[in-house]
Amino acid sequence: MLSAAEFSHSRPFVPEAATEAHGVAPKSKHAKWAIEFERISKFFGAHRVLVDLDLQVQPGEKVTLIGPSGSGKTTVLRLAMTLEKPTGGDIRIFGESILFDSAGKPLSTSQEARIRRRCGMVFQQFNLFPHLTVLQNLVLAPTTVLRQSKEQAENTALEYLRMVGLEGKVHAYPAQLSGGQQQRIAIARALILKPEILLLDEITSALDPELAGEVLDVVRGVAHETKVTLLIVTHEMRFAREVSDRIAVFDAGRIIEQGSPDKIFSYPECDRTRAFLQSVLNH
Amino acid sequence: MTWDWSYAVEIVPNLMVGVWYTILVTLASSAIALIGGLLLAILEIASTRLGRTFVRFWLELARGVPILILLYFTFYVLPQLGITIPAIPIGIGVLGVVYAAYCSEVYRGSLITIPTELRDACVALNLSQYVTWQRVLVPLMIKRAVPALLNYVLGLFRETAMLFAIGVPVLMGEAQVAGNESFRFLEPFTLAGIIYMAMNLPFLYLLSRYKDKHA
Ligand SMILES: Nc1ncnc2c1ncn2[C@@H]1O[C@H](COP(=O)(O)OP(=O)(O)O)[C@@H](O)[C@H]1O
Ligand SMILES: [Mg+2]
Repeated sequence: MLSAAEFSHSRPFVPEAATEAHGVAPKSKHAKWAIEFERISKFFGAHRVLVDLDLQVQPGEKVTLIGPSGSGKTTVLRLAMTLEKPTGGDIRIFGESILFDSAGKPLSTSQEARIRRRCGMVFQQFNLFPHLTVLQNLVLAPTTVLRQSKEQAENTALEYLRMVGLEGKVHAYPAQLSGGQQQRIAIARALILKPEILLLDEITSALDPELAGEVLDVVRGVAHETKVTLLIVTHEMRFAREVSDRIAVFDAGRIIEQGSPDKIFSYPECDRTRAFLQSVLNH
Repeated sequence: MTWDWSYAVEIVPNLMVGVWYTILVTLASSAIALIGGLLLAILEIASTRLGRTFVRFWLELARGVPILILLYFTFYVLPQLGITIPAIPIGIGVLGVVYAAYCSEVYRGSLITIPTELRDACVALNLSQYVTWQRVLVPLMIKRAVPALLNYVLGLFRETAMLFAIGVPVLMGEAQVAGNESFRFLEPFTLAGIIYMAMNLPFLYLLSRYKDKHA
């Protein structure tokens, strides 16, 4: 695996076909935010997981959510991907609600799907389809969702495989790959749909440290060379500092503090932030 | 009671006819059971509460009533209502429907072992419900269900013997006919038993192959 730096010297990091589509100008004219959470609350049963959460992310911005386990970070990403529905509040993607139509009625499945297409997500557990080869994993959505021809989808898939340094694994099954390789495939699988917003949920937490590096290299490349909006949850503080424009600190379902990486890591204001940073940095 | 070789050899051709019908009935009713069971499982999972209740009721009926009663009911009672179906389709249909109920249980069981994270991945990739089922959930369900399904096909194969009760010339039926004609039962039933057992072997081989491969 090449490091991100070597990578970008040898060839463009993201396939050319993809660059113009990544982070294209918002389709809705007035969209100031790529994604906007407005007074979101979320209950699981009687358990309140998010408390009147407000969060806005600009197009192209890289925002990292940090905070103790159980503080609600994953739930925020799952809400954006419509994997969960909030108990209250609204979420807008490029100005369009992913919950309600203009008359305030819940969106139909197809309306929801249309807006959701602008988001992609990569999970902690990779979630590759175990019965499909790497190539089949990569072309499934393009051939069915985007209705590309098999040939076109496969050509694109090969470009993305090259991008994550795994062109040799086209016909391997996920179980034959290391965790780091699987996660790089999962990133390629998400990127291939050209999401304008990419949600990354602790994508290295299930990996040994030496494998985490190769995955983070891929994300660095994406962060530096595309205009995709990134919403990241991670415990890798060095990485967060490197790629983020902004850090939001979560605690018990609220954002207790946010700001530039420098501010959060060097001059945290909240005691809870300091306590959290201490606990992760000492590990 | 002595074993009569010449009689045994004489009835082999008749028994072979039975073998042929047994294979036919097994294949046809297995197809109904395997495909019908899958559809039932999907219907039950994806349907409304009312639909689910209906499917469950129907499954309990198929599994709760002895096969012989279902066979006799369709063979003797339906004609009195003006519906006459030949014995072979009845046999295939009843076995198929009953085993579809068993198989649907297997499919449902294997579906709940599919991690919900894979469904999340389908949503994140924007796959439609149809593609999610067709390309991800159903293949995984089938793959996990194969050993249990093969066991049911094996059971179904053995139960085809029951169909002699409505006159389907399965192996058991042919043995019975041969015995009745000559009043000698030792040879026909011994041979039938041995042939049934021999016919099991390919299934058992497949099962062990599959288990080795996917252990
Ligand atoms: N599906 C669920 N059902 C019930 N509780 C949940 C569910 N998902 C998350 N939670 C709870 O919500 C809280 C926040 O979880 P999460 O968003 O995963 O936190 P984080 O990602 O910051 O660790 C936790 O207490 C967790 O137990
Ligand atoms: Mg989490």
